[in-house]
Order: sequence, then structure tokens, then C-alpha cells
Amino acid sequence: MKVIMKNLGKKYEGRENFTLRNINLEIDDQDFCVILGPSGCGKTTLLRMIAGLNSITEGDLYFDERRVNTIPPKDRDIAMVFQSYALYPHMTVYDNMAFSLVMRKERKKLIDERVKEAANLLQIEDYLHAKPADISGGQRQRVALGRAIVRNPKVFLMDEPLSNLDAKLREHMRVELVRLHKNLGTTSIYVTHDQTEAMTMATKIILLDDGKIQQVGIPEEFYNKPANIFVANFIGSPSINIIKGKFREGKFISETDTITLTPSQEDAQLLKAYEDKEISIGIRPERFESGGEFGDTFEATIDVIEMLGKEKTLFATLKDGSDLLISTPGHFEYKEGETHTFGFDINAIHYFDSETGERINK
Amino acid sequence: MVFFGGKKKKRKGLYLSDKPPLTIPGIIGLIMSYTVLFAWVIAIVWPLFQMVVAAFNGRQQQNIMGNANFEFSLRHFEFLYNETYYMLWVRNTLFIAISTALLTLIMVSFTGYAYSRYRFKGRKASLMAIMLIQTIPTFAGITAFFTMHSIVSSIIPAFSRQMMLILIYAGPAIASNTFILKGYIDSVSTELDDAAKIDGCSNFDIYRLIIMPIARPMLTIIALWSFIGPFMDYLLAKVLLTSPSTYTLAVGLFTLISDFRTMNQPAFAAGGLLTAIPIVILFIVLQKQLVSGLTSGSVKG
Repeated sequence: MKVIMKNLGKKYEGRENFTLRNINLEIDDQDFCVILGPSGCGKTTLLRMIAGLNSITEGDLYFDERRVNTIPPKDRDIAMVFQSYALYPHMTVYDNMAFSLVMRKERKKLIDERVKEAANLLQIEDYLHAKPADISGGQRQRVALGRAIVRNPKVFLMDEPLSNLDAKLREHMRVELVRLHKNLGTTSIYVTHDQTEAMTMATKIILLDDGKIQQVGIPEEFYNKPANIFVANFIGSPSINIIKGKFREGKFISETDTITLTPSQEDAQLLKAYEDKEISIGIRPERFESGGEFGDTFEATIDVIEMLGKEKTLFATLKDGSDLLISTPGHFEYKEGETHTFGFDINAIHYFDSETGERINK
Repeated sequence: MVFFGGKKKKRKGLYLSDKPPLTIPGIIGLIMSYTVLFAWVIAIVWPLFQMVVAAFNGRQQQNIMGNANFEFSLRHFEFLYNETYYMLWVRNTLFIAISTALLTLIMVSFTGYAYSRYRFKGRKASLMAIMLIQTIPTFAGITAFFTMHSIVSSIIPAFSRQMMLILIYAGPAIASNTFILKGYIDSVSTELDDAAKIDGCSNFDIYRLIIMPIARPMLTIIALWSFIGPFMDYLLAKVLLTSPSTYTLAVGLFTLISDFRTMNQPAFAAGGLLTAIPIVILFIVLQKQLVSGLTSGSVKG
């Protein structure tokens, strides 16, 4: 089912400002859409509006052609997995999963079939008769998923479902959720603040900040073509280096003149309009090179090295004292305190208008 | 206990407690604590014991004598049954107690849930008002209760003094228990409500199927308290109920020791003993429900 939002806005009672406003989105059928954003950006509010748990102040919400603004949650054909799982503590796992069907007054045989099927899919058959208190966090997570699957919903909503799991289990569940999504073929909307989850799971990411949509697109675009400085900063770990400066005589010069950069021909075309204006460049830590192949180089002293195994993150300082993150393959030899010369991969530079923060080289 | 004792013996010499070893002042403190506790226990148990003995002692006459000889007999119970309205008092008390408990439970369910889950105008102010009004003792309103009763009963003749008493007992109980239940429900994650809403529950269903089972230990305690209330109260019942056949147990039994001409202390003891039975039974039946900790495991872990 398609989920379409037109000019959606939400203002909470007793608040002065809109939490969300002018949200225009179209989530396609079978999309795995991740709503990403820092805490307090309104992402959970948006999800709860889609679920019908929060009212819609302005704008329209459509499921396919049906306007659902005022339809109660139970009639929206949705299922939701909560951050805290929200399992009913006094019911067994089986009853938890069957609950929505019982409320719909389905036949007992059908309920039994559906619950068993979902339990089989999630491998929780062994503890169908245990209480939520008696099973582990990972198992509870599965039960919460099972409860949602049993309903056979058209839209699957998830509110940070993995945030209560430990790192290893989270990695595992990520893959499992994607697999589940492919199996079921429903539209999924997933809220998270974790960019790794977004990048790995989504077919479409929506990045929210300050109640506005910052960028919508596939994960690749987010990494390689961030729409503005906020997006560039938010996506990627270790995070991108942003250097402020000016564009003068066809070259980028940093504020303290420590870095000079000649853009590639393509970028130079687009930058013409910014002659003598403030711009910022962004460069991912792994897009530095040490050979001086592209001309402009600079010197940096390595302060701290974080060894991650397959790669090393160098926390370096420029001559003017500003920090830079450089990541190199793990087997390269660098020592703390050394000074090295680095260059840029000029095809991987992101140019931003310093004033608006918007991307220049689209 | 035996099992642990055995284990302890095996590991003789190893100090296994997590607490620091006892010092001399520590030991003295411990002895003093136990002395106080035992004195307390005796202060409670001795009169109870005397009451039980007196109730079954056929030798006891009008006044309970401490040094009287003992002879087992059910004479005093027979007296209660044959010569007084005892069974009527039991019925009255049970009627009032059960009605009070039910009324309180139903009303508190609604108010506690509403105050916990809904935001409405005057929520804070009304909560505050309820709290403040409770500082005034119920008995202060006794004249008002009288007037109210006579007005209502002139319109609805079936509205008896006992019913008025039920309302008077239930009123403050509803107010104070609203706070307790609200606090308890506040500790239940609202995500459960959301989940239930998506699963197709109406607001009433959410309470009935999700919140109420979770809050059951608290509801049980509330019911128990409001049930016991009428058994314990003397003053209001004494003032409001005027005919002996409408008396509650507390008022009725007091007639056995209030006048030296009709004084019958052993019967009073026997009646008191019998009064304890329904409450004890209730405690035993509800013991399982009173066990809390039901919410653990619903959220996170």
C-alpha cells in the first residue's frame, strides 16, 4: 500500500510551535522506508500520526486513495512494533500474538493457524506459552514482531525496535528484519536515530531535522550526495570533515589559508557563480590520499589513532590547530605525533553554500 | 532451611555473609532490636490470646476474670446467636462492606485510569481539591449527612440509613484510592495503551483487558481496605444507625459491654473472634492476587 502525505503538520496542545510542518512525502508500495533524525526532530510524531495515535493538525494522509486522517488506528490496517515492545505482561506469548485477532472476533482455528505460522517464521514456537517476563530481550523483540505479523497488515510501522538490544543482536536482527520485509512484501516504515540502521536497511531514507525534511532518497545518495551540511554531518561514521572558506580565482581557500584546493573541471563550472563568496567543502575521511596525485596537498600532525581493525581513524591537527578526521586501511603504518602530507580526491569533494548550507555541486 | 543448614556446616570456617562481621556494639544493638520486637509481639498477641480463651471459657460470667478456671464451652456463642441480633449484624456489616468495596472499586477504576491517562481541563486543580478535602475528617460532616439523608429518603423512601453509610464510607475511600491507583497506572507504560489501541481496543477495553489485569494487586488492596473499613468503624455507624436491627457488628457488639446491666464481656470476645473470620478468609483467598511485580517484563528488560 502506498502512503502519501500532503502538507502534513502537527502541533501539540499547549505548544507554541508546530512540531512538524509541510511534510510532503510519497512512500511506495513495498518500500522499506526509514525515517531518520536526531532525537526531538519529530520522527516518532510522524510515525504516530501515520498510525493514528496522534491526531493530524493540518494536511492530508492517504493510504492509497483513501484519506485516513480521522480513521481510528484499528481500522487503518496497520501494525506497529514499539521501542519497549509493549507486550501485555499478563498474557502468554501466544495470547499476546493472538490478541488483535481475538479483538477482531476471528475464528479460533484461523487465529491458531496464523499465530503458529508467525511463530514458525520467527522461531519462537518453543515459548509460546511463556509469559513475556520469562523470556529474553531478543525473544521479546521477536514476539513483538510476531504480534505485528499476525495481523497481516498493509503497513508495518516500527518505532526504534532495535534500540533495546545489545550490539551483536542488533546486527543480527537488522538482517532478519530486511529478510522479513522481503518475505511479507508489505510497506514498512521504520523510525530510528541510528544512521547505520538506516543505511543498511532502507530502500528509502527520509532525514528529518527541526520538523522539516532535509533529504529523501536512497542510502547511496545520502552518503555520496548529501543535500546540505546537516545531512553530510549526520550520515557517515567517522563523520565527514567540513572546512569553511572562500572561493577565489577558481580555487577554494580555507579561512586560515592552510588548505587550498583546485576543484575538478565539472565542479569548477558549478562554482563559477560563487566567486568571492563563502563556501564550505566536505570530504569523507576515507577520501584523502597520501600520494599527492591530485595536486594540492597539506600537512597534518596525527594526535590520536583509533584502531578498528580493518581501518584506522586518524585524529589529525592542521597547522592552524583545526581538527581533521582521516581514515586509512588498517595495515597502513602511522604513529601518533608524526606529521604527514595528505592530498584530496578531488572527485569526492562536496561543496556547500556556507550561508544556506545547501549543496552546490548537484 | 535444612538444605542451607547442611551446606553451612560443610563450609565451616568460611564467612559467607555479605555484611561485615558483627562487633560487640552490633550484637548489643541486635539484642535490643529483638527485645523491642518481641515486646511488641507480646503486646499484640497476649490480649488476642486472652480474648480467644475467654470466648471459649464456659466459666466466664459477665466480666472477664483473668484468673478464672477454664472449661471449654460454646455457651457465649450460643448466647450471641440466640439472645442478640448477631446474625443480623453480620448480614448488615457484610452488606455494607461488600457494597462499599464494590462501589469504591468501580469508581476508583474509572477515576484512577482517567487521571492517569487523560489530559483535561481542571485535572490538576481537581486532584488538588480532592487531596485538600481529605484533610477534613468525615465525621465533621455528620450533620450534613443527616440532612442529606432525610432529603433523599423523603424523595426515595427506599434509601435507608445503611445506604447512606455506604456512601459515606465509599466517598473518602474513592478519593484517597484514586491517588494510589493513578500512581500505579502511571508506572505502566503508555505504549501498552497504544499497542492495544492498534490491536482494536476501545478506551474501555484498554482498561478492562490490559490495565486492570496489570493493576490487579493494587485493586485487590483497595478492595480489601474498603471492605475492612465498615468492620472497624464505630462512630459513624453508631450515630447514623438508630435501631438495633440495623446495627453493624462494631456497634452491635459494643452494646454488650456498654451497659453494666446487660454486660456480657465473654460474648463480646466471642463476637469479636467471629468477626475476624471473614476478613481472614478474604486475606487467604486474595493472597495470590496481592503479590505484585506483574508488570516486570512487559517493557524492556
